[in-house]
Amino acid sequence: MNYNLALTDEALLTIEKPERYIGNEVNSVVKDKGQIDIRFAFCFPDVYEIGMSHLGIQILYGMFNSYDDVWCERVYSPWMDMDALMREKNIPLFALESQDPVKDFDFLGFTIQYEMCYTNILQVLDLSGIPLKTADRTWDDPIVIGGGPCTYNPEPIADFFDIFYIGEGETRYRELFDLYKDAKKRGISRMDFLHEAAKIPGIYVPSFYDVKYKEDGTIASMEPVFDDIPKTIKKEMCTDLSHEFYPTKPVVPYIKITQDRVVLEIMRGCIRGCRFCQAGQLYKPLREKDVEYLKKIAIEALENTGYEEISLSSLSSSDYSKLPELIDFLIKSCNEKKINISLPSLRIDAFSLDVMSKVQDVKKSSLTFAPEAGTQRMRDVINKGLTEEDILRGSHEAFLGGWNKVKLYFMLGLPTETDEDIYGIGDIANKVAVEYFETVPKEKRGGRTIDIVASTSFFVPKPFTPFQWAPMNTKEEFLDKANKTRKGIMSQLNQKHIKYNWHEADASMMEGIFARGDRRLCDVILRAYEKGCVYDAWSEYFKFDTWMETFKECGVDPFFYTTRERADDETFPWDIIDCGVTKAFMLREWKNALAGKKSINCRQGCLGCGAASYGVGVCTESK
Amino acid sequence: MHKLRLKFSKNGPIKFIGHLDVMRYFQKAIRRAGIDIKYSEGFSPHQVLSFAQPLSVGATSDGEYLDMTVNSMSSVKDIMDGLNSVMNEGIKIVAIAELDEREEKAMTTSYAAKYHLKFRENSKPDFDWVSEMESYLEKETLPAVKKTKSGEKEIDMKQMILNYEFGEDYLDILLMMSSKVTLKPTLLFVYFFKSLGKEFNTVWLDIHRVDIYRDFQEGDKTYIEPFIAGDTDERIYLNG
Repeated sequence: MNYNLALTDEALLTIEKPERYIGNEVNSVVKDKGQIDIRFAFCFPDVYEIGMSHLGIQILYGMFNSYDDVWCERVYSPWMDMDALMREKNIPLFALESQDPVKDFDFLGFTIQYEMCYTNILQVLDLSGIPLKTADRTWDDPIVIGGGPCTYNPEPIADFFDIFYIGEGETRYRELFDLYKDAKKRGISRMDFLHEAAKIPGIYVPSFYDVKYKEDGTIASMEPVFDDIPKTIKKEMCTDLSHEFYPTKPVVPYIKITQDRVVLEIMRGCIRGCRFCQAGQLYKPLREKDVEYLKKIAIEALENTGYEEISLSSLSSSDYSKLPELIDFLIKSCNEKKINISLPSLRIDAFSLDVMSKVQDVKKSSLTFAPEAGTQRMRDVINKGLTEEDILRGSHEAFLGGWNKVKLYFMLGLPTETDEDIYGIGDIANKVAVEYFETVPKEKRGGRTIDIVASTSFFVPKPFTPFQWAPMNTKEEFLDKANKTRKGIMSQLNQKHIKYNWHEADASMMEGIFARGDRRLCDVILRAYEKGCVYDAWSEYFKFDTWMETFKECGVDPFFYTTRERADDETFPWDIIDCGVTKAFMLREWKNALAGKKSINCRQGCLGCGAASYGVGVCTESK
Repeated sequence: MHKLRLKFSKNGPIKFIGHLDVMRYFQKAIRRAGIDIKYSEGFSPHQVLSFAQPLSVGATSDGEYLDMTVNSMSSVKDIMDGLNSVMNEGIKIVAIAELDEREEKAMTTSYAAKYHLKFRENSKPDFDWVSEMESYLEKETLPAVKKTKSGEKEIDMKQMILNYEFGEDYLDILLMMSSKVTLKPTLLFVYFFKSLGKEFNTVWLDIHRVDIYRDFQEGDKTYIEPFIAGDTDERIYLNG
């Protein structure tokens, strides 16, 4: 136990949830500083409860700490009350385990999971006393490294990072650490170290790439400034997930966190190819983990944490080939120990309903469908396999099983969307209600009735998807579409059984700007941070007007990044990254989308996306 | 089936863990230790744990109590060692007593709590608080207004102080803490400061709970003693 906290008792008692800052959680790792060569501060730039819920950090935290010469600690964004206190009292940001200042570390790593955390990265650097820009740092500062889905287009935050690690963290960190130790021993400059690091596969040092723009503002070229570093950086990927490190002793927090359970990652990647989905492309190809390995991991993790719940994690759990065997095993071993099983992302069918009725209270739980769009035409455009028939058949069986709560998820603003597609949302919701009344006769309802929640989010086109060429809607278009959706639902016969929720359009617009942004946004983000923007992912702190004002001051047109139509041959800022899926494939899929043509999934046949170059997973299965 | 009462200490950074989180902490520790605890009935069974009295965030303790029922065990020592081997050193089980099945919960039978009170290192008052407090406590009555769920209530703190003893820079004090009457150390200090025309900030006070007491009759005399008492030395005779 570390009794020397960075903050005084008085300070900890004046702020909300002191447990966020005291470390000492069960399974957190404390090492002897004297025996360590590399100190790594791993940050999720959001509040503790969110950051602690993230599986990726737990994996790399465990892996790094399995190295004798490395001590990895955790850092999260101080909440606003703590932020104010630290600035007022000049307390530098510290890592949780040692409570030592982050600035004294060798590495500060950020996992960047969503665009709206960019100002929080600056907050963490700022409170640590680390220069915000890579250009201003010296060997007195940690090497600032970023990873995670947003780093597939890292350009909007390129100025703030020394290094981006592109792809899955398991593969190249050891090499990077060895290079670092060697560089320190040789006493080479920081710049020379970065130069050598840039030769390691998956390592992108943004300051070594020179960006030139065309007159229309699009990118003319991105060229390396050295001859001996790659022109594009290819995604790193694990080839055998059943023999990779997996944390069976994850850190167990004291306070309730968002993902307060054992998370069992059953596979990576997805066969589905939904055209709006970035994760589906980034993590290709689908790689399943061995079921015996998963059983062992599950039991160990439950025993080591004492959690009362375990959750399966993947992009589409129903596609895991040994799912029935795994779930059978979990139900048997968890029932004895009174442990709950949570099964997100299951396709609703007879199998999943049977499983769900065993692990959930049917009366309390709800069914979730994600049709994503209101008509079959629109669903074909986005290549979402779910049909209306699937939904109604699934609902029918579920209603027979006693369920009466249904959640439906849709997107508004998809490419080629028409009013018909928007009004289709109300239609589907109504049909689900009708299905309930036809399936469950009045005398069997026991005073209960159907309860439908339809939610829409606004579609944000993301890099490395077929929709990376698509113009995004404006805020006004979004709000108009949400209004039409609401009216569409209100006009339904069963409208009083349907509740409608929609997202905020302002935040979606910001997300859209960052997602397909370039380096010219670095100044905007820095300036917005200086003007007080932080915690943008939190609606209570998100200052849309300040952002818009900042764009104006910096002379950057936000709509250049969102609503603009992109030519087929435009060079994108993220073309510097090679995610394994080719641009030619995505363009083909974009054309298929516009033609309303569906594509098959990876298990039905190979579309030649490029991911087969890794020679693993579903790409090697016989079809 | 065995009904058990666990006595534990809470020290170090763990003092910032709130009451409900301590409960969740124990639930996980009990699972990690593989204790055959009794679960509630129903669709989502949960462990039934009952704490004597919540300890405020920031306070340490050497005498907290937790009641639980196990379906089976080999010995109380086994339970104690099992739990201590899977917990942070900040929380430690120091004793376990097996209770009679009819024994009431600690929550409903606690009577008083003993505190060791001093000021935190950076928050020491700029006056001789020990001697000021000595004369304050000698007053006939110590009126105060206590905020309750249903509003405000006028109380006499003097009636709720069972005994006390001063050290060079600390106060050991036994305060009533039952389901009917409870005096928190911070309220006493708020009014003590007020009597000197000063403001008191609750974060200044370093509160350490030494133990929690229950009351019992022996003959026609009433005594109190810690829930799990080492020997009869720890008994205190209550006059009246």
